[in-house]
Amino acid sequence: MAYPYRHERETRILSEYFGDPAARTLAGWRERGGYRALEKALRMDRAAVIEEVKQSGLRGRGGAGFPTGVKWSFMPKDDGKPHYLLINADESEPGAFKDRELIRWTPHQLIEGALIGAYAIQAQHVYIYIRGEFFEPAQILARAIEEAYAAGFVGKNILGSGVDIDITLHCGAGAYICGEETGLMNSLEGRRGQPRVKPPFPAAVGAFGMPTTINNVETISTVPHILLNGAAWYRSFGTEKSPGTKLFNVSGHVVRRGNFELPLGFNLKELIYDVCGGIRDGRSLKAVIPGGSSVPILSADEIDIPMDYEGVAKAGSMLGTASVIVMDDRTCIVKQVRRMVEFYAHESCGQCTPCREGTAWLARILRRIERGEGREEDLDVLLDVGRNMTGTTICVLSDSAAVPVASSIKKFRDEYLAHIHEGACLAAAAAV
Amino acid sequence: MATRSNNVKNPGWAGETGEFTHLTEEDIRGTGYVGQRPPDGGHPGVAGSLPYQRAERRPDAPLFEGPYRERLDKILSRYPEKRAALLPVLAMAQEIRGHLSAATMEEVAAALDLSPAYVRGVATFYTMYNKAPVGRHLIQVCTNVCCNLCGAEDVLAAFLEHTGTEPGEISEDGRFTVVEVECLGACGFPTAVQINERYFENVTPADVPAILASLDGGEE
Repeated sequence: MAYPYRHERETRILSEYFGDPAARTLAGWRERGGYRALEKALRMDRAAVIEEVKQSGLRGRGGAGFPTGVKWSFMPKDDGKPHYLLINADESEPGAFKDRELIRWTPHQLIEGALIGAYAIQAQHVYIYIRGEFFEPAQILARAIEEAYAAGFVGKNILGSGVDIDITLHCGAGAYICGEETGLMNSLEGRRGQPRVKPPFPAAVGAFGMPTTINNVETISTVPHILLNGAAWYRSFGTEKSPGTKLFNVSGHVVRRGNFELPLGFNLKELIYDVCGGIRDGRSLKAVIPGGSSVPILSADEIDIPMDYEGVAKAGSMLGTASVIVMDDRTCIVKQVRRMVEFYAHESCGQCTPCREGTAWLARILRRIERGEGREEDLDVLLDVGRNMTGTTICVLSDSAAVPVASSIKKFRDEYLAHIHEGACLAAAAAV
Repeated sequence: MATRSNNVKNPGWAGETGEFTHLTEEDIRGTGYVGQRPPDGGHPGVAGSLPYQRAERRPDAPLFEGPYRERLDKILSRYPEKRAALLPVLAMAQEIRGHLSAATMEEVAAALDLSPAYVRGVATFYTMYNKAPVGRHLIQVCTNVCCNLCGAEDVLAAFLEHTGTEPGEISEDGRFTVVEVECLGACGFPTAVQINERYFENVTPADVPAILASLDGGEE
């Protein structure tokens, strides 16, 4: 059964079998070429596996874009300690909905990549940390893990190679901060999911105090394709500094929302107007958040940019998870920024004062402005609080909360002023 | 089960463009592939991933007996430290009893050699542990930005209206609790609603009565 919607400009590597229920099963995955990359990797030297991924230029798809092969090479070699590979399936950045699709359509792709990664870094145990809300995808993945154990792809002496790798599925329980890698480790260990101070970095002291690597679901799902087809093949997609394809998860006011796999460097404007069919209901575009709620907002005239790590940074924002949130001209920017900030206030783990207090105050002031009870000085207070929240805490949740506030005040100041001076919403006026 | 297939208007991965008529709900949700997972947790590697909000829970049910004792042992076998089993074991306790009372947390603490205060500290950090009883169907409506842009507040209002409840309270018949929830990671399919274990996608206010009616159909 073919994927029912396939835009002609997509390059489907990771998402080739989205919408194909038979690809979920071990038998179906094998028929589609599955686990050949694992067989190949197990015949290679560990260092050669890391080198291939390094050469491919694959960069972490969880938001930071750190080169995966380089991350793997930080792991100590033959130190006699247990090593762990953690798969971050705690997808919870507002706007991001790509990992859930990868898990529910192609669980064996993830398992295969995890096994290759674990082999490369000498990890005997893989923990897949999946957010608790993803109950249904977790059940699919659980079934796939059971199949893989039964077939000898996981467990003792994998495929007769003498390599032992276990996989354990670990469900979170509802906390955005557990997507931060050290928060995830604490949560895995049965603690509150509060991020740890770095250094020490996970490759030295990670889960259970042992050398640990954490990779995102999309990153690790890419690994089998690189191993099978080679680094040069992977580099034939995307750009020099941002090689390969990426799932662009588009939400909001476009005609066709969803995941679209495109080479990095794809033009954002073409993504919205061509691939996603433009803006719904014949409306016009007001703003775009290109990489999930934690990155600066772009106005409608700033979107003619390449969607790669460098291109989006040059435009003053970040690629993040390539979670594109599209807002039409009826959108009240003040309200949506307030909603995002309330999210960060709710999800702040509370251990750093600038974040715990700052997120709450930002939310309080934004609510006041939205109600028409704000003062013009409030805008300076918001920016000042945001500055004090940036670079002053253990993790970047605090910085993330300040981002939509500062970027929206800069680009949509008139909307704030209309709320403050006239108690009026420009978006409501546009909607008429 | 046939009566519950009312709500998949599309498979939920490329927007509601009406192009997805050949896939069934089972294809999309993978329920046929998963089948029925056993209460003992199945393979030890996945034993910690079972439901946490079953409809047939009882506040006085025994915690670690029969298949649940087996599941506890399987979970414990996967970690180098006992404490790491805390999240999955709390989830299992909630699956059995519906919520985590102070007494339940004490029992979990004893089973894992932790102090009750420590367990309480962890349990209160995570939103999915119910610290108080909830209705048989816990309805969580995402109102974060992507769903919010597409009318999530109206969906929330419709659930509250049709259940006759205020956020967080249990309906008089004990069936429903409706709450707002942060991003469910289904931003392309607004409004995303989680009811007990399952997701409903692309929910509009008009869908709400049919969804509510379908819930007990699956149980009785």
